[in-house]
Amino acid sequence: MQILKYILKRILQTIPLLIIVSLISFFIIRLSPVDPLAELKLNPAISQETLQKETERLGLDKPIYIQYAKWGKSFIKGDLGYCSTGEKVSDKLMERIPNTLLLTSLVIFMTWVVGIPLGILAAVKQNSLTDKVLTVLTSIGMAIPSFFFAILLLIFAVKTGWFPVGGLTSYNFAEMSLLGKIGDLTKHLILPVTVLFTISLAGLQRQMRANLLDVLDSDYVKFARAKGLSEPVVIFKHALRNALNPLITLLGFEFASLLSGAALTEYVFQYPGLGRLILEAVLKSDINLVMASLMIGAIMLILGNLIADILLIITDPRIRGGQ
Amino acid sequence: MKKVLILVFILSLCLVSCIRKDTAEDVTSKNVISQTVETFEFPPVAKTVTIDGVDYLQSQAEIGNFGGELISSTIGEGPKTFNPFNAKDATSDTMASLMYDGLVTSRPDNGEVVPKLAKSFTISPDGKVYTFYLRKGIKWSDGKPITADDVVFTWNKIILAGLGNTSTRDSVMIDGQLPKVEKINDYTVKFTTIKPFAPFLRNLTTPIAPKHVFENAVNKGEQYFDSFLGTTTPPKEFVISGPFKLKEYVAAQRVVYERNPNYYMINNNNEKLPYLNKLVFLIVGDLNNEILKFEAGEIDIISLRGSTVGKYKEKENKADYKIYNLGADTGTMFVAINMSHGKDKNGKFFVEPKKQLWFNDKNFRTAVDWAIDREGIVNNIANGLGKPLFTAESLNSIYLNKELAKGHGKDREKAVLYLRKSGFYQKDGILYDRFGNRVEFDLYTNAGNTEREAIGVMVKQDLEDLGMKVNFKPIEFNSLVNKLVNDPQWDMTIMGLTGSPLEPHGGKNVWYSKGSLHLFNQRVVEMPLFPWEKELDRIIDEASLKIGFNDRKKLYDKYQEIIYDEKPIIYLYSPVRVVAIRKKFGNIYPSELSGVTYNLEEIFIKEGQ
Repeated sequence: MQILKYILKRILQTIPLLIIVSLISFFIIRLSPVDPLAELKLNPAISQETLQKETERLGLDKPIYIQYAKWGKSFIKGDLGYCSTGEKVSDKLMERIPNTLLLTSLVIFMTWVVGIPLGILAAVKQNSLTDKVLTVLTSIGMAIPSFFFAILLLIFAVKTGWFPVGGLTSYNFAEMSLLGKIGDLTKHLILPVTVLFTISLAGLQRQMRANLLDVLDSDYVKFARAKGLSEPVVIFKHALRNALNPLITLLGFEFASLLSGAALTEYVFQYPGLGRLILEAVLKSDINLVMASLMIGAIMLILGNLIADILLIITDPRIRGGQ
Repeated sequence: MKKVLILVFILSLCLVSCIRKDTAEDVTSKNVISQTVETFEFPPVAKTVTIDGVDYLQSQAEIGNFGGELISSTIGEGPKTFNPFNAKDATSDTMASLMYDGLVTSRPDNGEVVPKLAKSFTISPDGKVYTFYLRKGIKWSDGKPITADDVVFTWNKIILAGLGNTSTRDSVMIDGQLPKVEKINDYTVKFTTIKPFAPFLRNLTTPIAPKHVFENAVNKGEQYFDSFLGTTTPPKEFVISGPFKLKEYVAAQRVVYERNPNYYMINNNNEKLPYLNKLVFLIVGDLNNEILKFEAGEIDIISLRGSTVGKYKEKENKADYKIYNLGADTGTMFVAINMSHGKDKNGKFFVEPKKQLWFNDKNFRTAVDWAIDREGIVNNIANGLGKPLFTAESLNSIYLNKELAKGHGKDREKAVLYLRKSGFYQKDGILYDRFGNRVEFDLYTNAGNTEREAIGVMVKQDLEDLGMKVNFKPIEFNSLVNKLVNDPQWDMTIMGLTGSPLEPHGGKNVWYSKGSLHLFNQRVVEMPLFPWEKELDRIIDEASLKIGFNDRKKLYDKYQEIIYDEKPIIYLYSPVRVVAIRKKFGNIYPSELSGVTYNLEEIFIKEGQ
């Protein structure tokens, strides 16, 4: 009951937050000098009437606050409106969201499954050879920019011919058997997943290592050891639970990056995800599409934080007591 | 720490060895152009043959093998719609038009209008009535016959009613009046215009829609029509007349077409075309990715740009592709000079009065023309993949004034002479006008377009050689468009536009004095016409009323001459198009006017490939 009340309170708090976010984004986009009709205006074949019609269709003839009010009204109703090209924003997003989710959830899953154990290993065996090798590898992983790494891998793909050059499926995907389809997807996913995995693994492994080292140094761990508990019990039962707390907050941010965290890599690999769509939309000042993606980003971030906080309440008795 | 350093060293060695250098420096693109020009004969124009009461169109090209696929690419975000009447961008237009043939088409070799979906047509002696005879017995992809009802419906209920993209409607409107379209019988349609209007015939290349599919959508009104046959429509709902039918569209990845078994074109063995089973367009985000895909063998055809041409040419003999030079394309790069002497709402001149005197001085503009080194621009910026341009019509236009197109080289002395004629004088390398004002102005272009920015630097140098001071300012594209179209506060601008090689009337928005893109003298406020502007208006009007090619050619020659003499816009160069396509394809007849894949139904894969 306590938790439900807490969740409700948090959700209510997000409403003014979303309004502020939407206001700022809407006005920044509209006040930028980008004119969605610039291309049309420079086309000698377009008549003045057509331009006029387009201006009205996009609502550009109205003052900016009316444009905002109109957008806000339909957003509340759950209608994301139309792109400047006449397609439904929700259709466009739905085409891309599954692809991005496939990529990011795969990466997040792998990162956590591999990163946490590696972090624990490095912390427990601090200053051993294993720890040092891991340190070097993760330093490289953190230092290398994702787009650069992605381009290197693309060149690798072209030179060896082992991997397709970007995309998600081959052109004859529809005719493949189920097994063939899975194989094709895997082939296309290996490179982008490698890039994202390497980079986020490095961060997570370092974080886990540092947290655990911190905890291992604390008094209650010393006490547990002094009590004569076996090392595994000390680490997994006493130290780890406490070391995981900051990572739960991190998990909340990971949730937010599910939809927006891979834009650069997506672009280099021509991955048919949200990143490419939104970049294009921003360049063309396609307001409904940009607003929809920004709002989704904001909601995902807020939701991620909420989930993290709830998880913390469940795992950490100290916070529960404070409620 | 030492260990770490060694590890890093080894890793970086690995990386360096991965990146091999493989470009050929000694093959300049300029040589490539001269090497790739190649002459061949186009196959004769397809003719109509009647078999069992069906009027087929018979291809006269080489007989090929059936089967296989061609994989092409499109740069950007892919099509926005598959409805040919809604397409507003080039990609959507290509993708949709593949599926719907028009009554007529343009010959790839000389641009002449020839029948396609129609069997034949006649034009009345007064040039106002066009009678089209349709093919009997040909079918839509769902088996229903293609008849006059479809043509009349398409024109009256979609195009002339103003649904979707209105550009065809705009361009067939004569003095505010639309043409009349009537059905004579099931296989005859009559178009009547109020005046003879030359550009009309070519507008009949517009696709024809199946009435039984579109009628419902048309009745539901404009808003419904705007989303009709969009990218979310299941492919099986398409009923088409063209050679290839949509099979699959995967957002941001690809568009796949399959062969239309009901297509009305046959080969000399009377077998139904097209040869290819499938046609695929991969949607790629940018040029670099497209090149990678071509190198990895994922696509079969690519437009080559700049320095890559040399590299590809060198490898051509050993490679599985062939390079074709398609000649100059319709793109024109130019410097526009703002001749406006209008004032804004606050009574402030758009162009400073002293600058107005320079820009309105023909000698000044001519001096600028002679001072610019076009050859240098083509060699340095376009990697030799361009041709100097001197005319308002592009170099591949069938109306090109060939005499003017020869142009002239750079001649600084001549430029100085022209300046002196108008009282400009140089002191210590600085140019002053006859009132002692230093000649200094701004030169704009859109930032981010590296080609135009580089041209700007070269033009600035050439003009500063004459003692002018040029402030070169690349600004954001949208702001520049706003300046050009709505708020003419600029001095000179480097811009590019594309036109049509077949129909000069399309350029009227630029050259008509009231045109919406009359850049050099944009009439945002009322301004008196220059005599030559009046003359241009007259020529544009007159040329549109003449039907015969030779009559029109004379007028358009004159129009190019006036622009060449007055030089409100100084043309610089046109890029040259170079295309590489895999050698395995047969019936490839690249054309300056139509490109490489205009005859998709005839293209086939050669034996044993």
